[in-house]
Amino acid sequence: MIDIRQLFQQRLALLRAEITPASARAHIRRNARGYSEAIAGVAAASLVIALVRQFTQIANISLIYLLVVLYLAARYGRAPAILASILSFLAYDFFFIPPYYRFTVEDPAEWISLFALLVTALVIGQLTAAVHARADEAIASQRRIATLYEFAQLIASTNDQRELLDALAQRLLAEFAPEGMTACAIITPDTLGHPSVRASAPADHPALRAFDLQVRELAGRAAWVLSKGSPVADSMLVTENGVARQETSLYLPLRSGKRIVGALGVIGGERMRQIAGVAPDNSDQPVPGAARADTPSRDPQAQLFQALCDQIALAIERDTLRQQAIHAEALRESDKLKNALLGSVTHDLRTPLASIKAAASSLLQPGVAWSDEEQRELLESIDESADRLNRLVSNLLDLSRLEAGVATPQLEWYPLQDVLAPVLDRLELSGRVQGRVITLDLPDDLPLVPMDHEQIEQVLTNLIENALKYSPQDTPIEIHAHVIGTPPELQVSVVDHGVGIPASEKRAIFDKFYRVQHVRLPWDPKHPPVGTGLGLAISASIIRAHGGRIWVESTPGEGATFIFTLPIPADRPTGALPPVRAVAGVPTATEPVREAPAPEGAPEEGSDDG
Amino acid sequence: MDEARIPQPEDLGDAQETRVEGAGARVLVIDDEIQIARAVRAGLSGSGFVVEWAATGTLGMERIAQWRPDVVLLDLTLPDLDGLEVCRQVRAWSQVPIIVLSVRAGDADKIAALELGADDYLTKPFSMGELVARVRVALRHVALRAGGAGAAARFQTGDLSIDFERRQVTMDGVEIHLTPTEYEVLKYLAINSGKVITHRTLLRAVWGPHYEDETHYLRVFIGQLRHKIEPDPTRPRYLITDPGVGYRLRAPD
Repeated sequence: MIDIRQLFQQRLALLRAEITPASARAHIRRNARGYSEAIAGVAAASLVIALVRQFTQIANISLIYLLVVLYLAARYGRAPAILASILSFLAYDFFFIPPYYRFTVEDPAEWISLFALLVTALVIGQLTAAVHARADEAIASQRRIATLYEFAQLIASTNDQRELLDALAQRLLAEFAPEGMTACAIITPDTLGHPSVRASAPADHPALRAFDLQVRELAGRAAWVLSKGSPVADSMLVTENGVARQETSLYLPLRSGKRIVGALGVIGGERMRQIAGVAPDNSDQPVPGAARADTPSRDPQAQLFQALCDQIALAIERDTLRQQAIHAEALRESDKLKNALLGSVTHDLRTPLASIKAAASSLLQPGVAWSDEEQRELLESIDESADRLNRLVSNLLDLSRLEAGVATPQLEWYPLQDVLAPVLDRLELSGRVQGRVITLDLPDDLPLVPMDHEQIEQVLTNLIENALKYSPQDTPIEIHAHVIGTPPELQVSVVDHGVGIPASEKRAIFDKFYRVQHVRLPWDPKHPPVGTGLGLAISASIIRAHGGRIWVESTPGEGATFIFTLPIPADRPTGALPPVRAVAGVPTATEPVREAPAPEGAPEEGSDDG
Repeated sequence: MDEARIPQPEDLGDAQETRVEGAGARVLVIDDEIQIARAVRAGLSGSGFVVEWAATGTLGMERIAQWRPDVVLLDLTLPDLDGLEVCRQVRAWSQVPIIVLSVRAGDADKIAALELGADDYLTKPFSMGELVARVRVALRHVALRAGGAGAAARFQTGDLSIDFERRQVTMDGVEIHLTPTEYEVLKYLAINSGKVITHRTLLRAVWGPHYEDETHYLRVFIGQLRHKIEPDPTRPRYLITDPGVGYRLRAPD
């Protein structure tokens, strides 16, 4: 992309150099030169004729003047040529037709040759100038075609939409800077339909900053253009080098077919307004015969402007279509995913449902006298299956919430202990620990870390459940937490001494629905582990959303260590709550509120809470 | 809402009869799902409670006024009114313990319910054992409130005991030295033992309204308190964290 921009800058410089003499002031300067050359040329021709006549008499020596006229017409156009024709006529009469040095003619025959000279000069001048103008026009038209072609090339070859729109804006500015355009911006509706500046040129023009402001703060104009499709003229105050001046800003619809795909903002003078075909006041009537009207303008610059606007519209439209294609592709992918999910989940949902149904209907069977023990077994199976179903459903909900980006972490400063303890309590309560040893290695001075407690609880639950599932009954699970590195991170690891994970699968296990292939637990070969294949995928999404990392280290056969990190920002709260003596208004049935004497020998009393 | 049928606080009076747990204490279930109501009734009846059921918030409030239950189990998603709204309206004229039952798992709902005056909450699905335990805690608080001064000069849960008269805290008979602030926090939690106290409520009660939002300092403070009263501060047995919501001191045995 960078080379395109460089290339572009070079072309821009070339174009500027080429275009600049055509600007208005240069035009005047050029004409002045033409006139002075006309005078000098006629003088020189007169001198030559005078010199020649010293030696010999040539009948049609006045033809030398025609050479001057021819040159001027070809070089400077009509007006200098006319001037030269008249000057030649006068000079010839004055210097070379008797009586000399007077504007009178003795011999009437000389009148004829004098007027023949004038008419010939005028006609030659006119014809040459016309041919020359046509050639100029052809060159200009060729250049416009080249510009258009470049636009098309740019659109075809640039894939990055931002680069492309930036390049188009710059190109447009380069083309119309001679016409007084000082800045331009491409505006498209964002996802919410609000107009926003997508590209602008030049990048750091003060007018543009004001323009951007105008679009953002007074989005009304651009929004109006986007919705109604009629151009609007406005004026804005621009400050450059401390000098404020009024500039015309124009908002023009960019159409692709009948659809309005965006708006072009232009800052420029009166000429730009004409080219763009916007009425001078704020009425939305287009100027008759201008580019924006339905009838195409006869002004070639207006035509070019229109054509370039169409190209920009095309570029925007192309991007919109590509976005739609990407979106459609994403939808197809997510459809595939949903089907896979449905397949996997149907099985996982049906299994506990089936056992609940079987156990409940058994208990309801008329005329069967279940023993207490049998009843208890059936009821336990219902209870366990319900728990499993509940876990699965909340996993699925969490995953879909995370994937939709809805569950952005609600960060609050927590000590890890506060989040870990409830997880262990719940696992114990639900009977999933079953007497297994879980050792905790947490330093007393672990700092507060920003986290979404529900999400980190879930990560811990998933990792500990996995460790329990994939390691034999008589091995401990270890949980370590430390602060490491600069900038500091909290690193939490969950260690098991189970089957471990093959190196080839260390990454894939964090994918959705992935389960370690052909895993058999040597200590319980008859019961392969069950799971949804979602736990680690959810954990990874959560940790990523927290700005941390998660990975696994493992030696197959010796166990696995799952590690995640959470960043600890520098702005962590320091300080403490102030000490209080006795609390008034605590609703207590036991004790009237009173200022309590400090118990003797309590060392903290003096300093109170650290 | 038919305003005329909403009783005023004076209608209930102060001398609301308190029933001993299990001995016919009345539990009103406000939940539109009949399966839940049926299961709760079966479970609680087995423990000796008398259970009635109301399917809407409006009906539920009428039953609270007329039947005067000892505990209300309130679902948050009701067909007519939001459960939080029911909670707010009931609190205007009744102090009956309210335990919120909800499938909503977000902290915000729990905190909102607790701060509107609910006494406790349970997230569906819950086990019947858990529900019975929570109902008993709620009944005990009513008994404490009604019992008057001197009813409980001591608080005992596990090995932790608090002597309110002497401001003395002991663990397994050994005195623990707490700063006055730590003592006040522990006392507030002990008086409300078994109930979740939101961060905000605890901060307001002990430090005053200016400190309501200093949740992270409270976490540090509780961590320090745990080092004094918990045998293993990383696995608290007495001062239980309800992350995102608040703290709960283990109910007396």
